[in-house]
Amino acid sequence: MAVIAVALYTVLQVVQAQQPGPSAVGDFVAPVDVDTTGLPGPVQPIFYRHDIHAGQYQMNCLYCHYAAEVSSSPGLPSVDTCMGCHLLVGGSNPEVAKVREAFASGKPIEWVEVHRLPPFVHFPHMRHVNADIRCQECHGQVEEMPQVYQWASLKMGWCLSCHKQNNVTTDCTACHY
Amino acid sequence: MAKQMDRRRFLKVVGVTGGGAAAAAACGPGDPTTLVPYLVPPENQIPGVATYYATTCRECPAGCGMHVRVREGRAVKVEGNPDSPINRGALCARGQASLQGLYNPDRVRGPMARNAAGQFEPIAWEDAYTRIVERMGAATGDQVAFLTGHASGTFDQLVDQWLAAVGSQTRFVYEPFAYEALREANRAVFGLDVVPEYQFATARYVLSFGTDFLETWLSPVQFAREFSSGHGIVDDQMGRYVHIEPRMSMTAFSADEWVSPNPGTEGVLALGIANVILADAPDNAPFDVFRVRPLLERHDPDMVAGVCGVPAETIRRLAAEFAAVPSLAIAGGVGAQHDQAHATAAAVNILNYVAGNVGNTVQFGPDAPATASSYQGLANLTQAMRDGRVSVLFMHGTNPAYNSPSGLGFVAALDQVGFKVSFSSVMDETSSHADLLLPDHDPLEQWNDFEPRAGAFLLQQPVMQPLHDTRQTGDVLLALARQIGGGTASRFTAQNYKEYLQDSWRTRQVQLGGQGSTFDDFWAASLQAGGVHQTPRPRTVRLDRGVGQLTFDVWQGGGAAGELTLVAYPSPVFYDGRAADRAWLQELPDPVTKITWSSWVEVSPETAEEYGIVDGDMVEITSADGSVTVPAYVYPGIRPGVVAMPIGQGHTELGRYAKDRGASVYDLLDSTPTAFGGLSHYCAVSIRHTGGHQVLASAAGMSRQMGRGIAQSTTIADVRNDEIQEFHAGHAAEIPEKIERVLDEWQEAQDRESAIGNYAGDHPRWGLAIDLTRCTGCSACVTACYAENNIPTVGEESVRRGREMAWIRIERYFEGGDGEEPLTVALLPMMCQQCGRAPCEPVCPVFAAYRTPDGLNAQVYNRCVGTRYCSNNCPYKVRYFNWFDHGNANDAAYAFPAPLHLQLNPDVTVRSKGVMEKCTFCVQRIRGKQNDAALEGRDVADGEIMMACQQSCPAQAITFGDLNDPSSAVSQSAAIARGYKVLDGLNTDPSVTYLMRVRNTVEG
Repeated sequence: MAVIAVALYTVLQVVQAQQPGPSAVGDFVAPVDVDTTGLPGPVQPIFYRHDIHAGQYQMNCLYCHYAAEVSSSPGLPSVDTCMGCHLLVGGSNPEVAKVREAFASGKPIEWVEVHRLPPFVHFPHMRHVNADIRCQECHGQVEEMPQVYQWASLKMGWCLSCHKQNNVTTDCTACHY
Repeated sequence: MAKQMDRRRFLKVVGVTGGGAAAAAACGPGDPTTLVPYLVPPENQIPGVATYYATTCRECPAGCGMHVRVREGRAVKVEGNPDSPINRGALCARGQASLQGLYNPDRVRGPMARNAAGQFEPIAWEDAYTRIVERMGAATGDQVAFLTGHASGTFDQLVDQWLAAVGSQTRFVYEPFAYEALREANRAVFGLDVVPEYQFATARYVLSFGTDFLETWLSPVQFAREFSSGHGIVDDQMGRYVHIEPRMSMTAFSADEWVSPNPGTEGVLALGIANVILADAPDNAPFDVFRVRPLLERHDPDMVAGVCGVPAETIRRLAAEFAAVPSLAIAGGVGAQHDQAHATAAAVNILNYVAGNVGNTVQFGPDAPATASSYQGLANLTQAMRDGRVSVLFMHGTNPAYNSPSGLGFVAALDQVGFKVSFSSVMDETSSHADLLLPDHDPLEQWNDFEPRAGAFLLQQPVMQPLHDTRQTGDVLLALARQIGGGTASRFTAQNYKEYLQDSWRTRQVQLGGQGSTFDDFWAASLQAGGVHQTPRPRTVRLDRGVGQLTFDVWQGGGAAGELTLVAYPSPVFYDGRAADRAWLQELPDPVTKITWSSWVEVSPETAEEYGIVDGDMVEITSADGSVTVPAYVYPGIRPGVVAMPIGQGHTELGRYAKDRGASVYDLLDSTPTAFGGLSHYCAVSIRHTGGHQVLASAAGMSRQMGRGIAQSTTIADVRNDEIQEFHAGHAAEIPEKIERVLDEWQEAQDRESAIGNYAGDHPRWGLAIDLTRCTGCSACVTACYAENNIPTVGEESVRRGREMAWIRIERYFEGGDGEEPLTVALLPMMCQQCGRAPCEPVCPVFAAYRTPDGLNAQVYNRCVGTRYCSNNCPYKVRYFNWFDHGNANDAAYAFPAPLHLQLNPDVTVRSKGVMEKCTFCVQRIRGKQNDAALEGRDVADGEIMMACQQSCPAQAITFGDLNDPSSAVSQSAAIARGYKVLDGLNTDPSVTYLMRVRNTVEG
């Protein structure tokens, strides 16, 4: 682990030196964009890179969104979860520093919501995850998104087209109650 | 710019937030588009998945077990604990509404002290402690007094120990409903100051002398369940219940016969019945009845008939019925507590004894665990305060400034006390006179235990973080002891109340059956179960030697010319008035009068005619002690010459929902303690029609059925008659041939449609079966439905306009009472009937109302445009329209002012203005269980899905399940011959089957 930390430290030194533009060490692409307003999707308080965590490191979505298998709500990772790794790694990255700062100060991170359903829709994540629907089918290729944006329309017609295709319920009270 | 935060969005934010941060988000503005995760997630909580905590209801002294449903750190629903032998999973309306005690917007949010100007202002906890210690230093020993409500258990013990540690013995307990008459009678007749266990489940004949055992008396949820089985049909035999009281209470609705003697003569009537039983079968009585034989012989039926106004043959008949089967006579209800109530209860004791019930249906156990409380104690305290013998007074869990007669002068006496500390978590009448207000945690935020009776050791645990800057009174007392220091501090080793509580349980671990396990395991197991229940061994009871010398006087108070007898009875909704600050309960129609949000006085039709009064006329009631003006309700179920008023309204404090609403009957009652140390709830009054009038905020429609056959009943004789039963079973309303042809075509079209998509294949058809024989009208289901389905309370004015939103209501119809037939009451819980051929559906222009494949009449709120055609076309009037934006925090009609919005069920949409809403059989619960079953790869089991109404029902009157499965419980119930559909002739094919109420009427 110490080796990785040192490696990351080195990488980040390099990155900071070479702003802007991506830099590669092996197959690792370090976060470089500080101003992310140009990227699709809302700007988050911390530039959390799904493309690195889910893409390059191939972390399972459920590692952080731990409730998606068992609950309607997918669950946002607690800061505690981030700190599981970032207690050790990524210390010099200013974005990681924000995570550590949040943990140390006890002030939770206020993420900006990307996917929003109206209050009269009840979407059971667990039914979909357990039916082997890949997260990407609704959320897009999150593992390639530096900043997550809403990929699908999430409109009722879009839901229904899939439900019809798969010959599952199209009853209104499956979602509306 | 402050952005809007709608409800679900708020819950989402809360959903991923830790306790403290959520509370902050609730109070201040927050960015609506952000999601805030936990820093460190709490164990065993998954966002979106409910956690249940076992605790104990403290809304009344019955001690029902509760399971509190917690979502993302917020209690959202209170349910009964199925493991509790007291309530077995059911919970009454007051218990359901405990959630609104927790989230009450008018709770005291932190410690407060009265300043020089007499206003309360916030103070720091530590400063408050310092002030108390200073004041106590100046007081000597017994001048420090402590007044609590009924608090049996560790807290009770702590108060005594703490008082002893500060050198005082001045402890008072005031519980308004303390059943002093019952205890005095047990002392006089059996030599025992104990409230016995009543076995309603085995009693096949119940004789209640003014005892509201289905409303407030002792343990109403338990009694409702046990009574409905003891009274039920077994092998074609049915139990029988006769209620004896001048007023027909909600409890009396379940009676097979209502006997209304002259007020205050119930005891003599009991002796008359005992006389006949003893005379008919002298050998069956226990050997020591000789002690009461001369007494009983004086009370022959003819003499008793003269006193009571009940025919002698009725007395003989009641006696014969009572002696024939396992029976139970009960007395000691608060609503029958006149100054001779101890004599009534003593007479009933003798009746039970003569009939051999003592030891069977009446079982005396060990001594009561509680510090005995009585009204006399409060009178003594008042005198002590007036005499200047109290210089520091602590008050916890009781509100005598409201529920003691104004004639007692408690409030004036309170001003004589130098320093008053209240631990109330709401600003009630008593707290408003305190010098220091140190709010306790709500019972749902506390560690505590409670012993409602011998053998029941119940635990309370906090189900969530405290909402406000409150501290548990136990912790405050321990902190004060530490601050006083010296010998006082050294008496306590526990650092906080939880430790103190655990120490108390540690010493009793073996007694509580925890031998052989570590304390931690024993504690965890007890917490999980909600406590420890033991069955105490009943003791053998004999008549006291002095019983023969007892005198049995009748109540004499109401004799003067032009005077009426006023009966002040406990409200089944507000108990002693403590629950009046719950909007759900204010909007819950009184089970008898169906009036909401206000006070009333019940007058008989005869009295009303005499005084020229109609419903809603303002009547001034004057007693020797005061007068109140309330609207009249003309009630056929009350004896001429008697008027009745419920306890519970007329608060001058207690927050926005209770304050300045109606009048308090305590302003009328005589403050002199009775011979048995209680408060007389009868008094002589005169009434005057003031000429004023107000429209009653009543949720009742017609009070008569007009032959519509909505709430049907039958007799046990008919149930035994096979021919009649066959007729019922095969009976369906006649449909004219022409209509039948149209319907056939319609059905064919439906069948064609159902072969497509969602509608093809096997689906359940959800349905209910409701046994009207069991329904008591208690309305627990109504409040449970409000809690589960985010139903808004609309307020008095909207109820007056018929805009209440109760998805389930208890319809109450009077029958008879016209001189020919005796008055009876028919009750019917009415909710959406989920019609198979629903009139609401075809008229909806936007398909918001439609039938789901599993047989629900769904209402898609986001599709509804509010034409209200559906409601106009619904013959059952079970669709409710949102006239106002009850779910919008910026609307005047907002029904969930913070933090009440935290009670909202995140699984149910809060409806907005212009939307029609209705019962859909708790579809969120159906979908939830279907999801669970699908994840586990199985089918939903019968009985797994429970409706909120069904779950709360103390009498277990409601069964839910799949009507397409012939083996399901609901199919079996619905197939019983006395089952019928309401307004069957309309051919709506409802999914709700009602089982006719069976009355055990006297034949011939």
